[in-house]
Amino acid sequence: MSDAGGTGSADVPRLLPNPDRDSQAWWDALARHEFVLQRCDACAAWRWPPREICNRCGSFEYTWTPVSGKGTIASWVVNHRAFLAGFELPYAVVNVRLAEQDDCKLIGSFRGPIPSLRGGLPVRAVFDDVAESVTLISWEPDE
Amino acid sequence: MSDHQFRDRAAIVGVGATPYSKNSGVSTLTMALRAISAAVEDAGLTLDDIDGVACHRVNDSAPASIVAESIGKQDLHFFLDQFGGGSTSHAIVGAAAMAVATGQAECVVCWRSVNARSEFRMGGTGRPPPDQLEFQYQYPYGYAHPPQQFAMIASEYMTNYGATSEDFGAVAIAQRWYAERNERALMRTPLTMEDYLASRWIVEPLRLFDCCLETDAGIAVVITSAERARDLRQAPVTISGAMWGSGHTLFSNRRPDLAISGSAAASPRLWAQAGVGPGEIDVAEIYDAFTPLVLIQMEDYGFCKKGEAGSFVRAGETGLGGSLPVNTHGGHLSEGYVHGLNHCVEAVHQLRHECGDRQVEGAEVALSTGQGGYVMGNSSAVVLRRAP
Repeated sequence: MSDAGGTGSADVPRLLPNPDRDSQAWWDALARHEFVLQRCDACAAWRWPPREICNRCGSFEYTWTPVSGKGTIASWVVNHRAFLAGFELPYAVVNVRLAEQDDCKLIGSFRGPIPSLRGGLPVRAVFDDVAESVTLISWEPDE
Repeated sequence: MSDHQFRDRAAIVGVGATPYSKNSGVSTLTMALRAISAAVEDAGLTLDDIDGVACHRVNDSAPASIVAESIGKQDLHFFLDQFGGGSTSHAIVGAAAMAVATGQAECVVCWRSVNARSEFRMGGTGRPPPDQLEFQYQYPYGYAHPPQQFAMIASEYMTNYGATSEDFGAVAIAQRWYAERNERALMRTPLTMEDYLASRWIVEPLRLFDCCLETDAGIAVVITSAERARDLRQAPVTISGAMWGSGHTLFSNRRPDLAISGSAAASPRLWAQAGVGPGEIDVAEIYDAFTPLVLIQMEDYGFCKKGEAGSFVRAGETGLGGSLPVNTHGGHLSEGYVHGLNHCVEAVHQLRHECGDRQVEGAEVALSTGQGGYVMGNSSAVVLRRAP
């Protein structure tokens, strides 16, 4: 196994999302800098990723609803290999537990000092414009 | 034997494997055929006896229908071409046993064949992300490959249950000891905690020696009825229980704790079906794409309380002579990564008492598990028994 590893390179653009019919609304909202999630009209549960049905009560009725953008780090990794193109090593990816609901978690990049990473770290969402009309949610420390 | 509908009705009567290597030089089809032929030969059967086929794959291997056609099958009684990686490895064995137990088929061969080092590296390295629904939410962040996804689980396991790097290292070291005594294994030099801690980060908190060895290999097992097994060449190993379970996909939604695998909910069904509990297992082959998976599953199958598997391993309990020998072939970490089916084969060798210096004395009951349900959202396992 080579030491640096991977064919990923920071000079090559990163892969962009390929929306499907369930996710198009999510990516469109992010491009407008709106952080909204589907919230069940019947039982009020939040969910992510986008799905037409509520995973708690089975209702198809929901409303795209703004979230606070606050959460805590449930888990995190620091990449020391270029698994995919477009990233400078090392880079961190976090799994964030949303303030709205304990079991609704999002993956995202971490925009903060890597040594500050720990489970439970409060974070807030930031919009990351990575290409024309393509925005991602990333996370920065909130303390 | 019992009057349970499934328990001990089917048996593994033959096992076969190609050599493990970094470059097989042949196709996955050819390796599958070689492993199948070896397993049939081991059973004392011929290819004419086979009337069912079962494999799993993620578009990285020859389809079941082409393998069946290649061995001359024109009227299969049972087939399964399961989409999935290691989490489905034991589901195909369980399904084959069901097919035999219900009379759908007489003799089913299960296999996994991968050029996982020379052609299709699960760990990335240039491979595009899989064409799967949820990857659109991951790869834009430079995150899509198993070492990253399992590092995310390891991180939460450390945060929630206090697991340490030394716990992970102890798993790698214990398994290497067995691999030194396994001539099929690819990594056979001793590993120390110093070596482990000095090994480079792949994706923190996983180091090099936390990760399995991507390998080129084919593995096969032949399953027939327990009744017929009595007249065949090898000591029969019956399938006492088989488990299908769910798991995590995008690490969101209804599963607040990543350190609890899909096997936690499913394993009580397995024990009930097999008619044994964790205390009666003589040897366990536990899916180990990455070291933390061994600890998490040991807890979720009920061998240890949550958060206690690390100290159990560090105390030597998973070594030969310990209370629960684990991954006695060296596992995916040191034998080679054949996506779970090599765990099943090792369990059979142990129960046939063929393992020489790494043999668990008098082994009669074994657990063999697939990946615990991460990413693909499913898990599987079997309990095997040396027939009396």
